[in-house]
Amino acid sequence: MIGETLALIARDLKRWYRTPAQIILVFTTPLMWLLLFGQAFNIGRLAQVDGTGMDLRLVFGGAPDYFSFMAVGQTAFIMLFASFFSGVSILWDRKFGFLSKLQVAPIPRSVIPLSRIASSLVKSMLQATVVILLAASFVLIPGLSGLRFSPSFGIVEAAGMALFLALLGIGLAALFVALGLVVRNEETLFGLINLLNFPLMFTSSALIPIALMPDWLRTVALYNPITFVVDGMRQLVFSTDVGAEYSVAVDMLGIGVFSGLMIGLGAVLARRALLRN
Amino acid sequence: MPFRDKFYHGKLAWRANSEGGFVPVEDAVVVVDKLEKVFSGDVRAVDSISFEVGRGEIFGFLGPNGAGKTTTISILTTQTLPTGGRAEVLGHDVVKEPSKVRKGIGLVAQELTVDDELTGRENMELQARLYAVPYSEAKKRIDELLDLVKLVDSADRLVKTYSGGMKKRLELSEGLIHRPQVLFLDEPTLGLDIQTRTSMWEHINKLKKETNMTIFLTTHYLEEADALCDRIGIIDHGRVIALDTPEGLKKTVGGDVIEIEVAECDEDILEVIKGMPGIALLDGTCTGNKARIKVPDSKTSLPKILNSFMSKRIDVASVVIRKPSLDQAFLEFTGRELRDEESNSKPGHKDQSTSRGRFRRRR
Repeated sequence: MIGETLALIARDLKRWYRTPAQIILVFTTPLMWLLLFGQAFNIGRLAQVDGTGMDLRLVFGGAPDYFSFMAVGQTAFIMLFASFFSGVSILWDRKFGFLSKLQVAPIPRSVIPLSRIASSLVKSMLQATVVILLAASFVLIPGLSGLRFSPSFGIVEAAGMALFLALLGIGLAALFVALGLVVRNEETLFGLINLLNFPLMFTSSALIPIALMPDWLRTVALYNPITFVVDGMRQLVFSTDVGAEYSVAVDMLGIGVFSGLMIGLGAVLARRALLRN
Repeated sequence: MPFRDKFYHGKLAWRANSEGGFVPVEDAVVVVDKLEKVFSGDVRAVDSISFEVGRGEIFGFLGPNGAGKTTTISILTTQTLPTGGRAEVLGHDVVKEPSKVRKGIGLVAQELTVDDELTGRENMELQARLYAVPYSEAKKRIDELLDLVKLVDSADRLVKTYSGGMKKRLELSEGLIHRPQVLFLDEPTLGLDIQTRTSMWEHINKLKKETNMTIFLTTHYLEEADALCDRIGIIDHGRVIALDTPEGLKKTVGGDVIEIEVAECDEDILEVIKGMPGIALLDGTCTGNKARIKVPDSKTSLPKILNSFMSKRIDVASVVIRKPSLDQAFLEFTGRELRDEESNSKPGHKDQSTSRGRFRRRR
């Protein structure tokens, strides 16, 4: 089972890194977000103009400025999109007959979604690393805000961050890969994924501070899995619980439960889709 | 049953039992018994078919698009569940023991399943790992197989640079990597040009000679069935309507037709032939200055006919021998010519011959 899974992961990754456009996109898409959205949407300025001298960290989940706030959120954003593409890729595999080849092969059916979730995770974690490094490197460029880590950020915090992202990535990939197996029409799949992506992104505190949201939206945001992830990660990156919604432990528990639920749901859906009829 | 039984006189011992099913023959690797697949909307893709394939045999399913060939293969290769009947491959029930079946079979599907973004060799390596072929063994076999299908020179190129025929050959070699006991070939030469088709036939015949592999293939090319198969089942509208060797099928159609061109053809000339000893005349007509004679065996009859014509001083201008073809056989059994079917399929079967069908059948 492990041999087949690794072989299929290798296949997915080869398809990925051999496409130059994909590699360019890995760098340019987050760069656009960080440069255009992150730099331009500098809502911290409002408070400075106002001159009330409020502690921005209360609004930005412990981050000293909006850019640092959104750069962390951007990593969650990346997990969402990488998972989305993995779901689409499995539908293409069905269209091109590759999936039927796997279904005839003497491999456990579970290898099919598991290998795709794993390859999705490798890609998304790499991309998230690129985002963090790009955002941090902006500090060195005059005129740009950069991601300002707390001086006490170390290996333990980095590992915690990776764990948050991995749990999110696994949960989302489990969901989207299962959808990619169930849905047999690409328009429907795109529509469905969009329907999920948009609210997941914008009812979370990834890009918009919860403090700025109306009450009803804030309630929704507090139960959004992405909120757990970015809330936890910000506490690790900025070494403070100022402006945090939950403790790191609760954040971890929240995303763990989400990931578990998605794996369960994904397994049920994938099983149905891979069953013969 | 009488009609069907009439044509079950192939090389192997075929015995119909009292219920109209078939008693398993010794060493049958594929046993299909009253197999049935009804899709939603009451489309009977496979309608209670029964047949067996012996070890080492090349068995062909011949029929028009939408006849139920691919559905049958899909059931036998554990991709689709039957709605009735039973099928065993290598002694394992395809419904109850799919993983045991999968280990022993190879499938070259109708559509291309190779990965365009990988090289030919990488595709083979992936296949080897999916079938748990040990690494060193796989390496050796990949070289052998690439050599067999003449892809050694392009093995390390991305498959997207391959021609359609090359991809098909790669598919074939992928299907062989784990040395399956039964190889299923679903329309192996569909959409290939004549040269590629011929070379594909060579590969398949070579496989038959060099291994004792059983090959189950579907085709809607009569020449292909004729060139490759030990036995042919003619399938139409989900039913097997004839099952025999190519020779046997042709024989049921009748003998050879001899056309003899003379100065003037009349009843007298036909009388000459009718009166000859040792010639069983099946049918004789005159068309213009040509005598058309149907005999069981032209090889032995023709010299006798010509000798007697010479002794009667009848000048012969030309002689043409027409061997019976599977085309005629198909026509005889289905009442239609095979090639008509592509533009004329019945609505219920049409699904499978259109581009939509490709997706449908996979479910």
